[in-house]
Amino acid sequence: MEEEVSTANGGAVCTGIPKDAVIRLEDATKVYSLPFGDVVALDRICLAVMPGEFIAIMGPSGSGKSTLLNLIGSLDVPTEGDLYIDGRDTRTLSDDELTELRRDRIGFIFQQFNLIPLLTVLENVEYPMILKSRQAVKGSSRARDLLLRVGLTEQMLAHKPKELSGGQQQRVAIARALINDPAILLCDEPTGNLDQATGKLIMDMLSEVNRRGKTIIMVTHDADVAAYAQRTITIVDGKVQ
Amino acid sequence: MIFFEISKRNIRLNWLRSFLAAAGIVIGVIAISSMGILGSSLTLSVTDSLSTVGDSVIVIPVVGQPGQNMVTTEALITERQLQQITRVVAPNDAVPIHAGADRIEIGPDKTVAAIYGIRPDQIPLMVDIADGIVPRSTSGALAGALLADEYDLKTGSRVRVGNETVRITGILEEQGMGFDINPDNALIVSDRWYATTYDQDDYDQVIVKVRDINDIDAVKLAIERALNRRDDVVTVYDTRMILEMIIETFNQISTFTTAIGGISLLVAGVSIFNVQMMSVTERIKEIGIIRSIGTKRSEVMKMFLYEAFILGVVGSGIGGILSFAGGYIAVSIMLQDTTYLFYPETLFYIPYGMVIGLIVTLLSGLYPAWKAANLNPIEALRFE
Repeated sequence: MEEEVSTANGGAVCTGIPKDAVIRLEDATKVYSLPFGDVVALDRICLAVMPGEFIAIMGPSGSGKSTLLNLIGSLDVPTEGDLYIDGRDTRTLSDDELTELRRDRIGFIFQQFNLIPLLTVLENVEYPMILKSRQAVKGSSRARDLLLRVGLTEQMLAHKPKELSGGQQQRVAIARALINDPAILLCDEPTGNLDQATGKLIMDMLSEVNRRGKTIIMVTHDADVAAYAQRTITIVDGKVQ
Repeated sequence: MIFFEISKRNIRLNWLRSFLAAAGIVIGVIAISSMGILGSSLTLSVTDSLSTVGDSVIVIPVVGQPGQNMVTTEALITERQLQQITRVVAPNDAVPIHAGADRIEIGPDKTVAAIYGIRPDQIPLMVDIADGIVPRSTSGALAGALLADEYDLKTGSRVRVGNETVRITGILEEQGMGFDINPDNALIVSDRWYATTYDQDDYDQVIVKVRDINDIDAVKLAIERALNRRDDVVTVYDTRMILEMIIETFNQISTFTTAIGGISLLVAGVSIFNVQMMSVTERIKEIGIIRSIGTKRSEVMKMFLYEAFILGVVGSGIGGILSFAGGYIAVSIMLQDTTYLFYPETLFYIPYGMVIGLIVTLLSGLYPAWKAANLNPIEALRFE
């Protein structure tokens, strides 16, 4: 169902934004106040992401891709305009509510893998689950199953992340992102630190995850990687082209 | 809990600096507890060694400067004043005392001893006799326990005092330190012998033995009213007050020494602060990661406070155990008697030091934990 939505911000209007989109950006603007003046990182972005979509975001460095991903990841909120995730207006949420949204509804996959160095592979995957359930889930079968499904072996589970290869670490990151069964996966250059063959394996894995119904939004510089997405959005100077 | 586990692992990973920070707390707790133990033992020891004199009122002549409306000439209590005191304190006993010191010779040994002149019938009010009797003749004397012990004095021994000779008629029980008289290293002679030998009829002090301790204030007031009506002729103390003053003084010394120990704990707190700040700085990226995947600010804060807590518990625990040894050594050296170490009021300083150690550690970890919790997750994630 598509419904035209208008916003009151400066008289601008985002048209054609479906209300049932899992992510809705309506005239979303992000301005950073720096000592030498304000920098507009995102300028009146209108974007709707439907459930189950796989979207690639491309654009030159400094174009606002990461800022957009941070907003969608509820790590930040728009300075102006609205951002709805799962129907919730992120500008009205407290820091704890935004954190819960990230924990329960969003999975992050980073270029640098960003696993917790002090925890083992298995514990890294269990961690978001523990945050959610507020109780110890040591050796949980769900975390173990996920890790085995993304291609790790039983022996690797007790290792620390730095003892694994880049590809293996990214698989752990995928398992961690999926552990709380989120609606949205946010991937920031997921193959940026991997060789081509491993990158392909990871992208195949993400495609499979998308086929199973997860919405994926991926920032990439690589057109081959972007080709896995159903839709590509290009951002230049903070605006969607 | 996962946060506790992460904190534990981070401490283990940086074991050397964690060990040094905890060592600071150990030293601080030892300093506080040992000083507290020493101070408490000292207070208990002094309180115990003071003879049980809570029932005495001491009257001594005022010694002052001319022109300040004070008696300066004699500095002794006259017979007339004694009679006034005796009258107003009745039915309590007023014991006039001559007090001085003289050279004494015991066989070939020569020394200086305190000499007290007391009416023979009042001597039992002031001292207990371990062996022998109160001197009946004017040339008899009682020897203090320590003096007798040191010079092997026995009943019947002869002691030369100045140009006179007295015969020991009895040995006193050890009395301990007193506020009125200190007879352990003294000779007690009859008042008449003292007056004749030293040509002094007036008294150095008058001790009033109050039968009912509740009357002490009334007795003091009565003496003050009788003698100090126009000028301050005498000063009136009660031993209970002196005892309280001394205990108060020792308690202050104890607090002071404990506070000095507290300085080292403060230094340890700075070290914990430093270590925790280093930990936050080193883990900015990690904080960004855990914040981005759904860790709340309060949970990040908890994680860093756990670290401080672990350092505090380990440091304070070890410090508590070692402070018993430290206190033992300090008390052994200073007092040569460790009896008071095992009193509850002394042992109290061990948990006291431990709790202070833990509080200092947690307070030191508070700001770094707060700083970690309030890092911007986006900037933290970008941090390399």
